[in-house]
Amino acid sequence: MLRAGLGTLALAGATIMSPMAQAQGATGEPLKIGAIISLTGPGAGLGNPQRQGMLLAEKTINAAGGVNGRPIRILIEDDGSKPDIAKSKAERLMYDEKVSAIIGPSLTASTGAVAAITNAEGLPTLCFTGLGPRIELTYKSLFHLLPAQDLNAKAMLEYSTKELKAKKIGILHDTGYGQVVTNQLNVHRQAYGVEFVAIEKFEVGASDVSAQAAKVRAASPDVVFVIATSAVPFRNARQVKIEQPIVSAIGSSTYDYVRGFGEYADNIIYPEFVVGEQPKDNQKAFVEAFQKEYGSLPKNFEAAAWDSVHIIAKAAAKAGPKAGSKDLAAAMRGSYPGVMATYDFAKDDMTGIELSSYVFSKLVKGKFERLSFTTK
Amino acid sequence: MTLTLLVQSVLAGLTNGFVYGLIGLGIAVVFRGARIINAMQGDLALIGSVVAYLIAVSLGLPMILGFLLGVVAGGVTGFLVDRLMIRPTAKRRGTEDSFLLVTLGGAFAVSATVLLYFGRDSYVLPGIGGNAMVDVFDAAMRVHAIWLIVISTGVVLALRWFYAKTAIGQAMLAASIDPEGALTLGINVGWMRTMTLALGGLVGGLAGVLVAPLINIQYEMGLLLTLKGFAAAILGGLTSPFGAIFGGVILGLVEALAVVTISSGYKDVVAMTLLIAIMIAMPQGLFGRRGRLGG
Repeated sequence: MLRAGLGTLALAGATIMSPMAQAQGATGEPLKIGAIISLTGPGAGLGNPQRQGMLLAEKTINAAGGVNGRPIRILIEDDGSKPDIAKSKAERLMYDEKVSAIIGPSLTASTGAVAAITNAEGLPTLCFTGLGPRIELTYKSLFHLLPAQDLNAKAMLEYSTKELKAKKIGILHDTGYGQVVTNQLNVHRQAYGVEFVAIEKFEVGASDVSAQAAKVRAASPDVVFVIATSAVPFRNARQVKIEQPIVSAIGSSTYDYVRGFGEYADNIIYPEFVVGEQPKDNQKAFVEAFQKEYGSLPKNFEAAAWDSVHIIAKAAAKAGPKAGSKDLAAAMRGSYPGVMATYDFAKDDMTGIELSSYVFSKLVKGKFERLSFTTK
Repeated sequence: MTLTLLVQSVLAGLTNGFVYGLIGLGIAVVFRGARIINAMQGDLALIGSVVAYLIAVSLGLPMILGFLLGVVAGGVTGFLVDRLMIRPTAKRRGTEDSFLLVTLGGAFAVSATVLLYFGRDSYVLPGIGGNAMVDVFDAAMRVHAIWLIVISTGVVLALRWFYAKTAIGQAMLAASIDPEGALTLGINVGWMRTMTLALGGLVGGLAGVLVAPLINIQYEMGLLLTLKGFAAAILGGLTSPFGAIFGGVILGLVEALAVVTISSGYKDVVAMTLLIAIMIAMPQGLFGRRGRLGG
């Protein structure tokens, strides 16, 4: 059953592999793909799951015959969560390794640094970030595997207003990721008819934010948004007796963070894409394969990484063996039904992820449960 | 502002303040006894907390054993820091700047080692009293935080007695204030410095096992703790253990009260403005003068 599922996942073989290649396995000249991700530094929580997803996709595609007989070879580089290192790694992959495409980076600042040089060469770049600075809209070979924060903010407001019927919302956020999402929440606040009765922030890595949490509690909100890449604010919010539902953002939905919540990993809602415990039908084979390979459940970043390799493989099969970088980028522009979401790289935001791709999960005693709520 | 909010902010300020103070205490102990600014102090806490976690949670042994071995691990690391890093640097006539740079490098090395062997996950170390809370005017404080305050205060008093009343404590001070004079009195200055680093390590390990239940163990926590602890130690006076705790509490309270009375966005502005004002008025810190005199 697993083998059948994986066969389906490897794009059914039809677009990537010739029947002969499937029978023989991949033996031709490798299709080299560069990957620049954050395996160390503050972004390591993102880069490590992304690495797992890419390697599993590489293994699966090669086992099924590669791209028209050519095996895929992913060259993974760690940018240490630093844009300058990401740029120099990109140069090495482009000019020394002559890769056909680049996957990553993991962080927005690094994406800007890498995309500036890959765009000049027309090299397809599939980044694990949402749409960043406006200049990215002018790039023709940069594709985003994650939604813009604008969409994450909308997803949080959708659930809070339509399911929880919230009118007053309190926000507790950090000055990094949380600030970016909060900026977008402010943009959409009026459209959803809600009032932000308290917005309290704290520095990334703060050891205690109970004073800020207490101020949010004192404003008596209907729902509290906690947006941060650390477990501390979630714990503190419950410790100062915030008993209202907590809605968070996709960035803190990883198992790493949830383990840090301890006994407070309960009644926290996430708008996200993959709930490993209860995957959607089109995600089941991937989740099963991932669990078999790594002994753990995947989430959003693993799925995005898996999709990234398959998107390149599909485009390479479509463009043909003599295709240049620009032809490969052109072959990517279009719709792609991925495991994480359905993408449309022809759209203005270069991701095409719709609000309807989100699923909503709730932490119940440390485990994610998929909720029936949808935005459709 | 409601009474509950005010009380909650004071409790949060006290808790944070003692966390900063405990790290600052280790920095002050090392500076007082060796004139070295130990940028590894937060990472000694990281080592202590990791060892406590491995003993008490991973191996399932009694919590008290985990706590004790966590403290000892900090002390042993402090000893090794002197033997492997400070002593070779001193032999080559290293200056205070060299010691700072060497320990800063050590801090990154510890962080990377923990990342390699312990992973990037956050880990929760159970606290004293579990997650039990105490209610104060509808505000809440963890029982563990109360223990942290009590134990920190006890350690400060013990250190005060140690430096004032014991021969070895006074020898450590003498070796630090006037190394050549101490040598003429037969004090082994090198050994005193080793003991100072080990003592700083013990305090760091203690900080680790007490702080970790409040903030989670994570490979990057060391440097963040060092920065706040350093601010606390500077504020209180780098040579004064009591000053480090006092400085930490002042810093924690100002931050918490700034959040509830002004805005969380100005928390650091308010705290750092106070720090600058105190440094201008009292360049030795609040208790630095007494500390340098041995008090």
